[in-house]
Amino acid sequence: MKALEDLVTLLSRLPGIGKKSAYRMAFHILKLDGQFAALLAERITGLKDKVRFCSRCGAYTEEDPCPVCSSPSRDRSVLCVVEQPQDVLTIEASREYHGLYHVLGGLISPLDGVGPDALRLDRLVDRVRELGVREVILATNPTVEGDTTALYVKRMLDATGVRVSRLATGMPVGGDLEYADRLTLVRSFRGRTGL
Amino acid sequence: MATTSIQTVSFRNLEDDTVDVSAPTVFLVGENGQGKSNFLDALYTLSYGASFRGGTDLEAAKLGTKAWSLRRQSNDDTGLDDELVVAWDEGKKLLKENGKAIPDRKYLVDKTPAVVFCHGDMEFAQGEPERRRFFFDQTAGLVSLAYIDALRSYRRALKARNAALKEKMLDVLDILDIQLATYGTELIGGRKDLIQGFENMFSERYEQVSRLGSKVGLEYRPSWPAECSSDEINDRLLASREREVMFGTTLSGPHRDRFVFIDDHGDFSARASTGQLRLLALTLRIVQAEYCSGMSGKLPLLLLDDVLLELDPEKRRRFMENLPAARKAVFTFLPGEPYGDYRSADTAVYWVEHGRLSNTAGV
Ligand SMILES: [Zn+2]
Repeated sequence: MKALEDLVTLLSRLPGIGKKSAYRMAFHILKLDGQFAALLAERITGLKDKVRFCSRCGAYTEEDPCPVCSSPSRDRSVLCVVEQPQDVLTIEASREYHGLYHVLGGLISPLDGVGPDALRLDRLVDRVRELGVREVILATNPTVEGDTTALYVKRMLDATGVRVSRLATGMPVGGDLEYADRLTLVRSFRGRTGL
Repeated sequence: MATTSIQTVSFRNLEDDTVDVSAPTVFLVGENGQGKSNFLDALYTLSYGASFRGGTDLEAAKLGTKAWSLRRQSNDDTGLDDELVVAWDEGKKLLKENGKAIPDRKYLVDKTPAVVFCHGDMEFAQGEPERRRFFFDQTAGLVSLAYIDALRSYRRALKARNAALKEKMLDVLDILDIQLATYGTELIGGRKDLIQGFENMFSERYEQVSRLGSKVGLEYRPSWPAECSSDEINDRLLASREREVMFGTTLSGPHRDRFVFIDDHGDFSARASTGQLRLLALTLRIVQAEYCSGMSGKLPLLLLDDVLLELDPEKRRRFMENLPAARKAVFTFLPGEPYGDYRSADTAVYWVEHGRLSNTAGV
């Protein structure tokens, strides 16, 4: 059954999905009515068509600028720097933070050939100046790469005179922002320290 | 907490089975290649999340399969059951305690520390610096999760720094120097503390086991001066930057530290006989177990793979007399060895053949 094998091959390329789980999903889709499969296919295509990066902060959004960047009630004097677009969703879910975001699009990792030039760092300095930001909160994960990037950003921002702080480390469960529950994030924001 | 049974599924050459290991001492008797060491490895993997025999997780799967699982049932003094699972499936390692995922294998070591005695230990005695660092890192990791974190961070920073040196990313190197110096000095501090506690225990035990009549000591020789602060290390790194960029690698640091056994004449292991080195390796494991229980208050599980085989009867007796206190001890023996001499009333003896363990209470 080539159609089945083809789908399984694709599905098993998704993170966290092995061959066995891919088969389970494919068989499940076969069992359900055709409408579900059509809707699923449509939603997947629609995702790539509709969701883009915000031209200001780099978060995922359907309209540009994103709702956070265009909201009049957000505090424009605070900027939270995160690694990936999905980190914005995690922090937003905590409802603890009311400033703006800046997505780097990665971490400095010489091992993977990623240097500072590959990240949205120039834009960060520009935004700090344009917005008159008072505090930059670095919310990169407490890993070696997260620390390297945070220290690098801190050095880069020294010239602007802006206050730079880091989310309280050691708090998130498993050390990953993605797995941090709401409470740990709240504590991290409140316990942030100057760098 | 007493381990009561071990279940293995599709693990190495072992037959899928649940084996009762509730006895405080367990002997596994069988010819070579039948599965004795594989059963020890199952116990080791339940403590460390990885094999002591090296190789990949795929290689630990029974021929023709791509997954394996190990399950350990224990109960504590109050009769509460505890179930630990270490499994490998679809390329992923799964660790679970009572159905709840354990996020990192470092927590396994902390739960049930284990000390293995095996042939490879001779390398610790012979003097290969990398193997000695492995031994002392493992010992420190048995009693300190913070040490494991510092070691992992140092290695990660070192790899990143070596890549940055090769790519000549100078502005990133400024940052990585700070990180290497910070994690590195933390590691050196941990190793200093370890050797301070370990050294006396080692000298005393080695004298008892070897009957040399003279003391053998242990010295830690860090690659960076031990008393330097991380700021001073940072300056040193900057001073050697040009040379390191040329070599494309980090030339100094805890990854170059040495541990040396010394007596009145200098480097002991350079002059020691094979017999003396064998006893040195055994003593290191004995003290590792004693250090672990002394520092963490947790008795370790002892896994002894063919350790008595190469010793003469007198040394065997002395080794058995010096066995450290343990939660449980599991030994492997060849059928020709006089294992009957070492067993006691509460020793369980299993015959191991073709990956199958059978109880031989009557042997
Ligand atoms: Zn935006």
